[in-house]
Amino acid sequence: MTNSSDIAKEEDRRTKRITLALLTPGTLWMLLFLIVPMLMMVYVSFWTQTTFTIVPTLTLKSWITFFSSDTYFGALLTTGRIWLTVLFLTIIIGYPVALFIGLFIKNKTIQTVVLVLCVIPFWTSFLIRVLAWRPMLGKEGAVNIVLEKIGLITHPIEMLLFTEFSVVIGMTQIYVVFMVGPIAFMLARIDQSLIEAARDLGANTWRIFRTIILPLSMPGVVVGAIFVSVMVLGEFATSGALSGRKVNLLGNIIVTQVGSLKWAFAAVVGVILTAVMAVVVAGLLRIVDLRKEL
Amino acid sequence: MTAVLELNGISKAYGEDVALDALSLSLGQNEYMALLGPSGSGKSTLLRVIAGFEKPETGEVLLNGKPITNMPAHERGIGFVSQGFALFPHMTVFDNVAFGLRFREVNAVTNASEVERRVGDMLELVGLAELGDRAIGEISGGQKQRVALARTLVADPKVILLDEPLGALDANLRARMRGELRRIRKKLGISFMHVTGNEQEALAMGDRVAVLDTGRLAQISDPDTLFNRPASSRVARFLNCYNIFAGNERAAISGADSEATRDGEYCIRFDKIHVAPVSDVTDVGKASVIATYITSEYSGPSIMYFFKGADEKVLEVEYHLSHRKPEEFVAGAKYSLQWAVGDELIFDGSE
Repeated sequence: MTNSSDIAKEEDRRTKRITLALLTPGTLWMLLFLIVPMLMMVYVSFWTQTTFTIVPTLTLKSWITFFSSDTYFGALLTTGRIWLTVLFLTIIIGYPVALFIGLFIKNKTIQTVVLVLCVIPFWTSFLIRVLAWRPMLGKEGAVNIVLEKIGLITHPIEMLLFTEFSVVIGMTQIYVVFMVGPIAFMLARIDQSLIEAARDLGANTWRIFRTIILPLSMPGVVVGAIFVSVMVLGEFATSGALSGRKVNLLGNIIVTQVGSLKWAFAAVVGVILTAVMAVVVAGLLRIVDLRKEL
Repeated sequence: MTAVLELNGISKAYGEDVALDALSLSLGQNEYMALLGPSGSGKSTLLRVIAGFEKPETGEVLLNGKPITNMPAHERGIGFVSQGFALFPHMTVFDNVAFGLRFREVNAVTNASEVERRVGDMLELVGLAELGDRAIGEISGGQKQRVALARTLVADPKVILLDEPLGALDANLRARMRGELRRIRKKLGISFMHVTGNEQEALAMGDRVAVLDTGRLAQISDPDTLFNRPASSRVARFLNCYNIFAGNERAAISGADSEATRDGEYCIRFDKIHVAPVSDVTDVGKASVIATYITSEYSGPSIMYFFKGADEKVLEVEYHLSHRKPEEFVAGAKYSLQWAVGDELIFDGSE
C-alpha cells in the first residue's frame, strides 16, 4: 500500500518537474525580453528629459507635450487614418485574389505555385520595393507619362508622389500579400461538397458566397488583418521614403526622437503605439474565435 | 408502378475512363432502390448525373416524364445527401435545416414562423427536436446524418439521392439508421435512391436492388431474387457469399446428374455446402468437388471453413451454428464439398 502510494507520489513529482523544466525557458525569455522592456518603456516615459541628459525624476512633461502638440497628436490621427485605409484596401484587393487562388484553382499544386508567385516580389529588398514607386509615381514618372501620352491629362499630376496617397499605395502593395495568404488558406479548406449542397438546396451564387463562403473565410480575414495592422501601425520606412517627410506616423516620430536622444519622449510614443496595437488586435480577435476555427 | 425518375441511355466518360455506359434505369413512385456496385462501378457518377452536378455525354434524365438533363441542380426538385453529409459547420442544426427554405432562389419562405414550423416538424421526424440550437461540431455522426437528411427533406423533394449514407457511421449505428431511413421514407412516401458498396446494406434497404458493373446495369431485381439467383457470376461475386470457380475441366465435379455437372462457371453459396470425407460416395441428387482444408474462423452465430480447390482458389463454407454442429477438420487433408443439385448456379463461359 505505502509502496504504491509512494510510487504515485514520485510519479507526481516527476510530472511537476518536467512541466517546470519545459515552462522555464519560455517564461524567462518572455520576462527578460518582453515584459521587463515594456515596463521599462512605461517607466522611462515618466523620466525628466533635458537637452542632452535624462534623469529618473518622475514627471508628466513628455506626456503633456505629446497630447498638446498638433504635430505629435496629429501623427496619431494620421497613423490611424493610414492604417484604416490600407487595411480596407488590402481586404478589397486581397479577398478576390484569395478567392481565385483558394476556391477557383482546384489543383493543390497550382494553388501553391500561384501563392509562391505572390511572394516573389519579396525576394527583393524592402527598400527597393518602396523606392521603385518613385519613378512610377513621380512628376515625370511612368504613370504621368502614360496618362499624358494617351491624352487624358495635359499637365502631370503632382499629388501622386510625396503625399499620403503614395504612402497608401506603397503600403498596400507591400502588405496585400499578408492578407491574401491567410484568406486563401481558409478558402482552400472549405469542402467543395458544402458549396454543392448549398446549390442543391437552391441558393444562388451570391447567397452561397454571403452565407457559406464569407463566414467560413472570416478567420482568414481576421488573421490577415492582424498581420497587416501590426505591420502598418509600426511602419516608418514607407512613409519616410514615399512622403518626402511630409507624412509623419508614430513610427517616424520614434525614429527621430531616438535619433536626437530624446528617450523619454520616444518612450511615450512607444507606449501609445503599443496600446493602440493591443486594442486593435484584441478588437480583431473578438470578431471570430480563432481557437475554435483553426 | 409509375416511374418518377427515368434514365435513358446515360453515358459519361472521364477521358479514357468510362464511368457510365448507355445506362437505363427507372425509379418507381414511392420506391426504395439500392444501387450496389464496387468502387469504380460508376455509381457515384450516376448519382451526380441525376442530381445535376455532372452532365452526361449522351442520354436523358426524365423526372415525372419531363426531361431535366440540362436543368441546373437546384431546379430539379431532387434532394442529394452527400457522403460526408456536407453540413455547414458555422451554423446550428436548425439553421442548417432551414437553409434551403430561407435561401433558395426560387420560392423562398420569408415567413419566419413558417420556417420555424417546417424545420421543427422535420427535426421531429428525424428525432432531433431537442437539438436545434446545437452547433454542428457538438453532435454525433448519426445525428449529423439525420440533420443532412432533414435539410434535404424539408424542401419536399420528389426524389432523394443518398450517396453511401451509412458509410461514415460505425456498425452499430449503421444498423439503427437503416431502420430509421426506411421509417422516414414510408412516412413521407417519396422515392429514395441509395448508393452503397455494401451488399448487406443493399439487400436490407432496397425494395429493388440495382447492381452496377463498370458503368452498366448488371442486374435489377428484388433482394431475394438477387441473393438467390444472381444473373451472372460477376453479380454473384459482388454479393460476397458465393464460391465461384470453373468446373468441370479444371475442378472435377462429380455426381450422378449430368446437367448438374456440366462445364461452366459454378457459383455456390457458402452456406449451401456440406463437408464430407473424400471416401463418401456422392449421393444421387448431389454434386461435389474435392478441396484441401486450410483453416476455420469462428464468428458467433456461424463458423467459416476455408478450403483450397483444385485451381488454387479459396472456397468458403459457412455453417450456421443454429442448425449445424461445428466440425473438426484436419489441415492439409482433402475433403469432398457437397451440395444439393439445384443449389448451384452454372454460367456458361468464364471471364
